[in-house]
Amino acid sequence: DSHIQYERVGADVTMKCGSMDWDAAVTWTANGTDIDESRLNGSYLILKNVDLSQSGQYSCYEGSSWHLKYQTYLRVGTPPKEPVLMCRSNNYPKGFYCSWHLPTPTYIPNSFNISVIHGTKDMVCEKDAVPKNRCHIRYLQLFSTVKYKVTLTVTNALGKNFTTLTFDEFAIVKPDPPESVVAKPVPNNPRRLEVSWQNPSSWPDPESFPLKFFLRYRPLILDQWQHVELSDGTSHTITDAYAGKEYIIQVAAKDNDIGTWSDWSVAVHATPWTEEPKHLTTEAQITETTSASTSSFMAPPTTKICDKGAVVGSGAVAVCWTAGLVVAAYSVLFI
Amino acid sequence: MAAADSPSTALRRRDLCSRGIRLAGKMRADVVDLLDAYVEQQGLDASASVAAVEGVPLAAVEHWDEQTGTQRLLENLAAYRAFRALLAQMLEEQREQLGEADAGLGRALAAVLLQVSAFAYHLEELLRLESRGIPGEEGDGQPPLPRLSLFEQKLRGLGVLRELAQWAVRSVRDLRQLTKPSLATSAAPALAESP
Repeated sequence: DSHIQYERVGADVTMKCGSMDWDAAVTWTANGTDIDESRLNGSYLILKNVDLSQSGQYSCYEGSSWHLKYQTYLRVGTPPKEPVLMCRSNNYPKGFYCSWHLPTPTYIPNSFNISVIHGTKDMVCEKDAVPKNRCHIRYLQLFSTVKYKVTLTVTNALGKNFTTLTFDEFAIVKPDPPESVVAKPVPNNPRRLEVSWQNPSSWPDPESFPLKFFLRYRPLILDQWQHVELSDGTSHTITDAYAGKEYIIQVAAKDNDIGTWSDWSVAVHATPWTEEPKHLTTEAQITETTSASTSSFMAPPTTKICDKGAVVGSGAVAVCWTAGLVVAAYSVLFI
Repeated sequence: MAAADSPSTALRRRDLCSRGIRLAGKMRADVVDLLDAYVEQQGLDASASVAAVEGVPLAAVEHWDEQTGTQRLLENLAAYRAFRALLAQMLEEQREQLGEADAGLGRALAAVLLQVSAFAYHLEELLRLESRGIPGEEGDGQPPLPRLSLFEQKLRGLGVLRELAQWAVRSVRDLRQLTKPSLATSAAPALAESP
């Protein structure tokens, strides 16, 4: 009959050929390949100091009849190390979630059991389908000074380990980063950038539990960030940007009263509005130079060479200048 | 109840709530500072668990989101009246223990006591606005707070300040609920369930 056998890395393993006597003539195979007799002690298979590569199916056949007498699946692995556990409330005041992982793989199946105690009360942490190593709890009480104690135990065939986290309701509150961060230049304002964002969608009730925000920005060419803390609203105008320089901007969020700051949002880039050099865009000049030639080139009078609106990517300004140079080159040709 | 609000009542409520929110926010910041000073001065372990002490109003509440505005105001008022008495006793015990040895802590306690009294008054004003009778203070009928050993006094003080800090946060949330235009004191909102 076939079964699974778990052994620690580095262990010495002795496999018996079922009920066969020690002196019976047998052949052992590993994953279908015959094993050399030197590894046998009578009919026993001896594997010394096993490593991960020796995991596989081991079969024992009676010598003359080649009847399968024994089969086992050897899984080499390790007992679990202390798991890493994290608990966080990104949807306060609804509840919190805990997630965990092992610092190193065990190479064999593990099962996790989580217990949550609030004072003397046991609470059930409902496991999420996705991701697997995560569970969530609804707050039954708010504003409690009694701490929560979460114990995670991980068990496999070779051992078990556990870790415990103790925290109070406020300490684990950490929103997700703000969403939909947009940065735009302000027309005719070479030192301004308008930034707007939205509350994270996971925060259930921003009206009753308002968030405050932290904005950081710097020109790409510098390492030092400027910071602005904003106690309300989801927009801000930067008024001290360096003219013509591309900026990187991020926003973080925090509950107004408790908990910690979110991670930084996805970074957005923007460059303040710059005035077009006059000789590249004067309509009269383009008309004058083209009328003296036989070429049919004519720049449409109302079409802008490039659009400076919306989020300006790092390539957009370069495109504008390139287009301008092309127009200048054509103008020179036709004079 | 919502339909009966006159514009001036609504304005006054909003004004009282805004000021109350600022007062509670300041109070919480001062209580947190006081808590640090108290723990250090009394030689306590900041992480020590303190069992619920009789007479200290617990901020913990179930179904918070389902409370009516009136319930919020009444529970807040009862709590801050209790804290007023507890802080007054702590101040007296502090003076007995140390005399003038730690005037700083005594002054900080007195300042918080003042803010607690002010907030209680604020809550009474809000209740008057709701045409609710202000519950009478039970101070006269209540048995005096038990005399505790010195160590028990210190632990109770820790419990009082911790619960007060929680209450200050809760009060900010409660007053924000009151300022929501969809809510009147008798309407009970339910937080939308997330998918």
